[in-house]
Amino acid sequence: MSCQRLRNWIEERYDVEGMKGLAKQKLVPVHQYEIWYYTGGIAMFLFILQFITGMVLSFYYIPYFEHANKSVIEIVTKLNMGWFFRSLHHWGAQLAITALFIHVFSTLLLKSYRKPRELLWISGFILLGISIFFGLSGYLLLWDERAFAAVRVATGGAGNLPVIGGFIKAFLRGGIDVTGETLTRFYAFHVSVLPLITLFLIGMHILLVQYHGMSVPMSLEKKPLKQIPFFPNLFYKDLIIWLLVLGVVVSLATLLPPEIGKKADPLAPAPENIKPEWYFLFLFQTLKLFPGDILGLNGETIAIILISCGILFFFLIPFFDRKSSRGEKSILFTWIGVLYTLYFIIMTVIGYLT
Amino acid sequence: MKINYSLVTRRTFLNTLFGGWLAAFCGGTFYALLKFAFPTLGKEPDFVVLKTADFMDIPPNSVKPFAWGGQLGLFYKKQSGSTYALKGVCTHMECNVTYKPEDKKFYCACHQGWFDEDGKNIAGPPPKPLEFFDVTTEGEKLIVAKKGIKVELPKA
Amino acid sequence: MIRKILFACAFILINAATLWAQQETIEVFPSAPYDRHIIFQSLALFWVAIIGLIIIIRMKLKEIERIQKMGIDREEKNIPLLD
Repeated sequence: MSCQRLRNWIEERYDVEGMKGLAKQKLVPVHQYEIWYYTGGIAMFLFILQFITGMVLSFYYIPYFEHANKSVIEIVTKLNMGWFFRSLHHWGAQLAITALFIHVFSTLLLKSYRKPRELLWISGFILLGISIFFGLSGYLLLWDERAFAAVRVATGGAGNLPVIGGFIKAFLRGGIDVTGETLTRFYAFHVSVLPLITLFLIGMHILLVQYHGMSVPMSLEKKPLKQIPFFPNLFYKDLIIWLLVLGVVVSLATLLPPEIGKKADPLAPAPENIKPEWYFLFLFQTLKLFPGDILGLNGETIAIILISCGILFFFLIPFFDRKSSRGEKSILFTWIGVLYTLYFIIMTVIGYLT
Repeated sequence: MKINYSLVTRRTFLNTLFGGWLAAFCGGTFYALLKFAFPTLGKEPDFVVLKTADFMDIPPNSVKPFAWGGQLGLFYKKQSGSTYALKGVCTHMECNVTYKPEDKKFYCACHQGWFDEDGKNIAGPPPKPLEFFDVTTEGEKLIVAKKGIKVELPKA
Repeated sequence: MIRKILFACAFILINAATLWAQQETIEVFPSAPYDRHIIFQSLALFWVAIIGLIIIIRMKLKEIERIQKMGIDREEKNIPLLD
């Protein structure tokens, strides 16, 4: 299959050789931390998977509170392969968020955010936030009891922020309470607003990676490192990992299809043993640490403010960490990174086990 | 066995193997995706069962619609009193037709197609006559069936 | 040997999944034994296909590295062309 004519047609119009040369120029350093380079690629692959499965699911889903739950049940029970693609979308989301968390914490610990890659950190952080919102909005689309309660708690939590909290809550809910309006809104977020922003940000993120090249950990920066071309060597390694991830997602989707609860009823009591999705557990657990009343102030509000500060600091870490931007060792920020990582892991585990 | 000369290089062999395997893999995956993306197609019904009382008493030279699967069916009583059932869908571009009692013709408003009272296409673009069904009555049940279909009612 | 272990693992997982699924009111997984059989067979086949692809990719990688070591992947700049 050489398709010489087609090849000529393209070559007469585009500088294929130049592009090939450009692809050959991309070199990736080889060292003991290179495994973390793959986490971003895994996340991207899972995002592509989510886009595809999401598109086909949207052919059948009905975003109206009377029919939403029933339409999901119909997808699962009546349509060809319906149960599989819903399950795949569910597990793809779980693994995508896992991959993103690993990606962000490895970036934090290897200090890849330092100058000149601050914008990469910023865009990546926003993408993580968007993915979490993706998870929350997608979860509500099921419109079952658990999803209903979870969204009530999450939007209510945002409502505890001082001054702007009320606005955020009303904007998210589309009213004073979680109703059919909220479902319509979350559907719009999930299938149009967030995907468009995500596409733009992923594009920017990847372009920036190409522009800056791969970051080398500070401890290895001075040493001469062997470099291998991204194409074809690294590309094929990426492909192997993607295939493995695909196999894992498909196996999980087949063996552990997620359940569907009863249709949400705004007047019913909250179901027993309700727990948020695992990526909210660390927030949930933090909120539990605070008493309801601190020095006459609402404990919940203080907790939310502290959490917001913690997240804001995390967001702005590249600008606080001046030392590593100058290329000096920054032990303080190593410890801060370890602290954040451990806090996240421990709180998630505690939340999961209790 | 060792061959000194080979027509294919190691690289071509690997490329072909890889390309073929990948194509098969993607094809299989894509097939599953398409199976879900294409609707589990609904079939046009072979027959529908209606209530005799609802249809037999309509005035002469008029029609009464009924559901033929997801499409429009028309129950039609001629001036003479004989009754028919037909699919009320134009054979040109699948628009629904209306009956014009004053002309005793069926009319499709989309592209000005006309059919006479026997469903024959007499004017406008329709290429084929309207589809007429067999009508039989079994007590209370009025059975409208495709021509040439043997109706087997489920035992109730 | 590895195949046996893999099958054993798959079996345990399958049983766990079915046990777990029994409590549900809504069937999120086809219940007909024939369908299940087909599904698990497809899953096994899927893994076989993935492993096959991975083996081929590894062979390709080795080939690429061999060529890179020989240094013939870079085209020479000044090859005289017959025009």
